[in-house]
Amino acid sequence: MKTNKRPSYSLLLLILLILSLSLTSVLADSHFEGFDAEDDVVEDESLDLESLHKLTDLPLTQSDSSPPSKTTHLSSSDSLSDPDPNPNPNHPASKPSSPTTSFEYWDEDEFEGVPVQHPPPETQQTTENATPDQNLDPKTTQESKTGPISKKPSSYLIEIVSVTFLIMFLINYFTGKRENENLALAWAFKFATKDSIFEKNFSLLGVGDGDDSPLLLKEGQNVFKFYASGRRYCSGLLATMELKSRHDLISRLYNLVVPCKDEITFEVYMNEDAMDHVVFAMAKKKAARGMQKELMDLNRFAGLMASPTGGKKWVPDELGVISESKEVAGDMITDAVLEQVFGEKAFEKYGRGFISMHFSDQHLGAHKKVLMFKFSLPDADNMTDMTRLVALVPYYIDLIGRYKLSPQARSKTDAARQKAAQEAYKELQNARQEALQRKKAERKKMMEEAEAKLSAESIRKREAKERARQMKKAMPRVKMTRGN
Amino acid sequence: MSSHNSSSANDPRQPSSAKPFVPPAVSPQDLPVDYSGFIAVVFGIAGVMFRYKLCSWLAIICCAQSLANMKNVETDLKQISMAMMFGIMGLVTNYLGTGRPGPKS
Repeated sequence: MKTNKRPSYSLLLLILLILSLSLTSVLADSHFEGFDAEDDVVEDESLDLESLHKLTDLPLTQSDSSPPSKTTHLSSSDSLSDPDPNPNPNHPASKPSSPTTSFEYWDEDEFEGVPVQHPPPETQQTTENATPDQNLDPKTTQESKTGPISKKPSSYLIEIVSVTFLIMFLINYFTGKRENENLALAWAFKFATKDSIFEKNFSLLGVGDGDDSPLLLKEGQNVFKFYASGRRYCSGLLATMELKSRHDLISRLYNLVVPCKDEITFEVYMNEDAMDHVVFAMAKKKAARGMQKELMDLNRFAGLMASPTGGKKWVPDELGVISESKEVAGDMITDAVLEQVFGEKAFEKYGRGFISMHFSDQHLGAHKKVLMFKFSLPDADNMTDMTRLVALVPYYIDLIGRYKLSPQARSKTDAARQKAAQEAYKELQNARQEALQRKKAERKKMMEEAEAKLSAESIRKREAKERARQMKKAMPRVKMTRGN
Repeated sequence: MSSHNSSSANDPRQPSSAKPFVPPAVSPQDLPVDYSGFIAVVFGIAGVMFRYKLCSWLAIICCAQSLANMKNVETDLKQISMAMMFGIMGLVTNYLGTGRPGPKS
C-alpha cells in the first residue's frame, strides 16, 4: 500500500500541475488579447496580491493564474508598443512595487483587509514551499516554481484515496482471476484428466465436442462449468464451480465480514427410464429444514426423517435427512456410503466439504429426474480431500439407476404423484381458463372503446354539419346573375 | 466404489449415448441484477449535477467493479459505458470547469 501511494501521489500532482499550467497559459493569452497596456499593470497588481494572499491565507482565488515569468515576458514585449509613457512593469523578484501604483487600480471593496505591502523575496520562497513533496524530480519543482499551487495537499485526499483504490482494484483483479483459474484447473486436473474418476465413468468430457475439447467453460470470472456425458443411466452431468469473487476487491472486502465458500454443484440428468420414484435430500440440519420449506418437490412429497432407533447405523446427528418414505431413506443411505463418507468417524474426516445432496424425480425445469450434489471446494493444493465426495456421484448414479421401489411403497408414491399431476393439471386448466376469460374481457373492452370512439366521431360530424347549416342560414342571401 | 473397473463388462461408459454440451439459453431477464452498474450511474449523475467529486470518483470505482463482474459483454457494456461516461464527465467538469480562476470572482 505504501509503495503504491508514493508514485501515484507524485504522478497525480504532476498531472494536476500540467493541467493548471496549461489552463493558466491559455488564460494569460486570452487576457492580453485585445486589451491595452493598462491591463498589464492590473495583471501585475494581481500578482502582487497573490503573494499577499499566500501570507495572509485569505481565500482569494483570482491570483492563481498568472505565472511571474510569463507576465514579465509579456509586459516587456508589450512595452514596445505601449502608448502609456509611464508604464509600471512591476516584477516581484526584481523590484518591489511602489504603493502608489498598487493603489491606482485598487478596488477597495474587493480587497478589504489585505495588507498593503510585503517584501517580494518571500513570495519566491512561499512558492517553493508550496510544493509539498521534496522527492519530486527537478522538472516538477521547476514547474511548481512557475505555476504556484495554493491548495494544500490535504485537499487531494479524495483523489489520492480513489486512485490508490483503483490501482489496487486493478492489481487484485488480475491476481484474483489467476487464483480462481488455478483452483478450477486444479480441480479439473484432479478429477477430469486421464485415469481420474470422471474419465473412467464418462465417455465424453468437456464442454466442446471432439477429443481435445476444453474441459472447463468459464462464465464471468468466478464461475466455471464442467460437462460430462456418455454413461449408463444418465444423459449428462454438469458441474458448476462457483468460486469466491476473488477478482473483485469490493466483494473480497465484504467477504472478510461475511465469509463464504467455494462451491461446486453437480447436476446429473438421469434417463427417464432409469429412475424410480425417489425424492430424497440430505444436508446439515438447519439447511435441510430450509430446503424442505423452499424446494417445491421436497415440500410436496417428502418430510424430515427422524433418525431410526434400534442400533442401526445412521448418519451423524448434524445431518438432516428429507425423504418421501423410510424405505427410500434406508435404501439411499447404504452401508457402503456410511462406511466411506457419512458414518460418524468418516464424516469428520472426509465429509467436511459436504453441503447437501438432493435427488428428485419431480424436479422443476427442463430435466425432471435430477441428482444434485453440492460440495465446498478445498484449496488448490488439497484437492485430494474431496475425492471421496466426488466418488459419491457415480456411486449414486448406479445406485439409483438400479433401484426399484417395493410394490407397496410404489403404490403409495404413485398415488401421490397422480394426485400431484391432477392438481397440476387442474391448475393449468384454471390458468388457461383465466387467460381465456381475460382475453374475452379485453376484446369486449376494445369493442366498446371502438364503439365509443365511433359514436363520438359521428356526434362530432353531426355537430359540424349543423353548424354549417346555421352559418348558411345566417349569411345574407346573395344572388348573382350573369350580365347580359 | 464404482471408480474402479477393469473389465469392459463393468465399464459404465457408453460412448453411443454421449451428447455434446448444449449451453442452456438464459434470457436477459434472468441474469442477476448488476447493482454496481446501477450505483455507478446514480453516483455519476449525482457527481455531474452537484459537482461533487467524491461522487464521480465513487462512480468510477463502481464502474470498475461492474466491469470486473461483467458476464455478458454485449448487454452489460452499454450500461457500464454510460456510467463511465457520467463519471468521467463529472470529473472533467470538476477539475477543469470550476478550477478555472475566472474573472467573475
